[in-house]
Amino acid sequence: MVVHEPGGNLDELRRSVREWCATHIPKDWQDQQRGATNDELVAFLRWWGAELRATGLLVPHWPKEWGGGFSIPEQVVIAEELARGGAPRNGLYHVGVFNAAPTLVHSATPEQQQRFLPGILNGEVWCQGFSEPNAGSDLASLQTRAVLDGDNYVVTGQKVWTSWAQVADWCMLLVRTDPEASKHKGITLLVVDMHSPGIEVRPIKQAYGASDFNEVFFDEVVVPVDQRIGRENDGWAVAQGTLAAERAIFILEMTERLRLNGIEAAVREAAGWRLESGEPALEDAGVREAIAESYAEAEVLRHILNAMIENVIRGVDVGGTSAIIKIFYAEVIQKLMRAVTGWQGVRGQLDEPLLECAGWETGFWMNDYIHSFGHAIGGGTSEIMRNVIGERMLGLPR
Amino acid sequence: MSLTVEERDELRSTARSLCDRKSPSERVRAVVADPPGFDRALWDEMVGLGWSSIHVPAAHGGSDAGYAALAVVLHELGRAMVPSPFLASAVLATSALMCSDNNALASELLGALVAGGSIGSVAFASTDGTYEVSRLTTGWERVDATVRLNGSSGFVLDADVADVLIVGACSDDGTPAVVAIDSASAGVRIEPAASVDETRRLFSVAFTDVVVAEERMLCEPGARAEELLDQILAVGVIAAACDATGATERMLDRTADYAKDRMQFGKPIGSFQAVKHHCANIAIAVEASRAAVNAAAVALDGEPNAWARNASVTSSYVGPACTEACGFGLRVHGGIGFTWEHDSHLYLKRVMLDEVMFGTPSWHRRRLARTVIESVQEEELQRS
Repeated sequence: MVVHEPGGNLDELRRSVREWCATHIPKDWQDQQRGATNDELVAFLRWWGAELRATGLLVPHWPKEWGGGFSIPEQVVIAEELARGGAPRNGLYHVGVFNAAPTLVHSATPEQQQRFLPGILNGEVWCQGFSEPNAGSDLASLQTRAVLDGDNYVVTGQKVWTSWAQVADWCMLLVRTDPEASKHKGITLLVVDMHSPGIEVRPIKQAYGASDFNEVFFDEVVVPVDQRIGRENDGWAVAQGTLAAERAIFILEMTERLRLNGIEAAVREAAGWRLESGEPALEDAGVREAIAESYAEAEVLRHILNAMIENVIRGVDVGGTSAIIKIFYAEVIQKLMRAVTGWQGVRGQLDEPLLECAGWETGFWMNDYIHSFGHAIGGGTSEIMRNVIGERMLGLPR
Repeated sequence: MSLTVEERDELRSTARSLCDRKSPSERVRAVVADPPGFDRALWDEMVGLGWSSIHVPAAHGGSDAGYAALAVVLHELGRAMVPSPFLASAVLATSALMCSDNNALASELLGALVAGGSIGSVAFASTDGTYEVSRLTTGWERVDATVRLNGSSGFVLDADVADVLIVGACSDDGTPAVVAIDSASAGVRIEPAASVDETRRLFSVAFTDVVVAEERMLCEPGARAEELLDQILAVGVIAAACDATGATERMLDRTADYAKDRMQFGKPIGSFQAVKHHCANIAIAVEASRAAVNAAAVALDGEPNAWARNASVTSSYVGPACTEACGFGLRVHGGIGFTWEHDSHLYLKRVMLDEVMFGTPSWHRRRLARTVIESVQEEELQRS
């Protein structure tokens, strides 16, 4: 297998990734995965993660010594080509590759990095224990307690919306270590072995039918002190360490999926439908306008991302822009899904087998629409993002 | 030669400081109240600074800095709502000549436009405001070695001060042509058609047996003329979107300032989420529009065959986004925002004219749909 290396010619990298995608992405993977059980899906994503790793494309954004080292323009090329090639989305490894690793690179000790980063490359699954039943948008009010006892923390509490906890090896867990301090100040970030005694994982079925979410209960779970990332009570700042560049590259890949594959899927869908009037959907002015509007918005989103990435390279602060792209992406995708379900009429309401890991554009539009709400909620709701824009970008009072 | 990021920043700050000094909103209100409806001294100064020819090739006396640089100026003129013939002359007429195949004509007319000795405008909309070539309401015919124009064009910017008019016309058999005329020619009648946006000056132009030498055609009639009209339209759409983005950015600044200052219920109103989210929505529209128009302007410096698609993408997003954003801005200002005295309505009216001046977003989406659907179908054919 070709192993992709950073530092070469961009066009050559593009050609090579495109060719790799053409020969390595199974042509029928979407049909095979439609209706798959969670076990089948997990097995498939583990296989896909190993394929990406073998060709050097699993972690392009990581530092070179850990198997990445691709420049931002190279990362853009890789994300574009994986999207263009219709690669499976590796949701199973998302937390490990995009959230845990950057935080570890940023804030962990060299020993901790040595201990955890190679495992992510070898297929260990990470989950993120942030939200709690009473700490959603107000994340800093989280109550899961960790009490220091000798060389260990003892953790008790409950997390929720924890994707892939049922198969995870590790959890990036936010816990309260100082209940007396103001709420942002008493939080610590721990890495917890998900195989530890005292952890119970209960699956939650999501609105669109998949079950990768969980509730996770911690009952006096023992976590060695050397699995604390950063200083005690500094976890809030440590957890914010995920870098804007990574967020931009992640959304860029999603945007390319939408811009290239999503719009194309909508055109094909319309080409196959007749409206109730008998008119082919693709000849209807309203349908055509909706497709063009979504296409234009996806293009604009790509332009915002390009501008943001340029600013990241120049070292300009892009904090507000990450909130903008998150809202914008959610709105673009919701509008497209809503438009297609609108013209499909009642025929679009028939149930179909679920396809996961294809992004938000699986071709089962009704389900894709329900799924798309997740983007306006997870990782900070669009409402919280608007507060961030108002307060951090515009300087409005809290 | 395109500007570096630093050079563009410098151009922006020079332009902003000049507009702040010379065109605060009180001044805008004053100049639009009396003929000619714009500040001629400021216009002369802009020409003198080379703004109106910043995108013109050096061979014609311009700075050759491309549309990306022109976009910076347009954004700032929009921010300050400057009333001027900039869009008509520096953007539309100048670009039409830059795209023309008639080098002798382009050299002659561009020379005067760049030097500031003359003002140009373009008459290429029908009297009912459409840019569909087949629906143009100015006709042309060949009579001996001359072109004769009859009919009228609508929505012509700054026609009363234009020395040169570039006219898009369609013959009885449906063949379009583009011709440059002297606005003082016999048979040309210019009538004001006042727009709600007082910072813009629109006219209808009627042609009665206007005779022009054949050498005043910008290109061959027919397909090439249609292409040229489409190119001018694309430049117009993108320029108007730059203007709207600038105006909306200023509306955002003023709205955020107001939301910090205005106290109700013992707090600044910006602390209430309903108001904060309106402000955030304006910020989203501004950031997205800025990215869209910058990319579109850069595309104008590239292959003309991508212009129409870029223009339609720009029209589809930027116009409606800026209009909605300025509407939110007006609302955040409450009662004061609803007064004639406050500037909110000026921004809103300016961006609403920008949104539709070169075709509605809806019409542009239909044009774009054709391109998008065709490209998907082509790809399918290739695969099968």
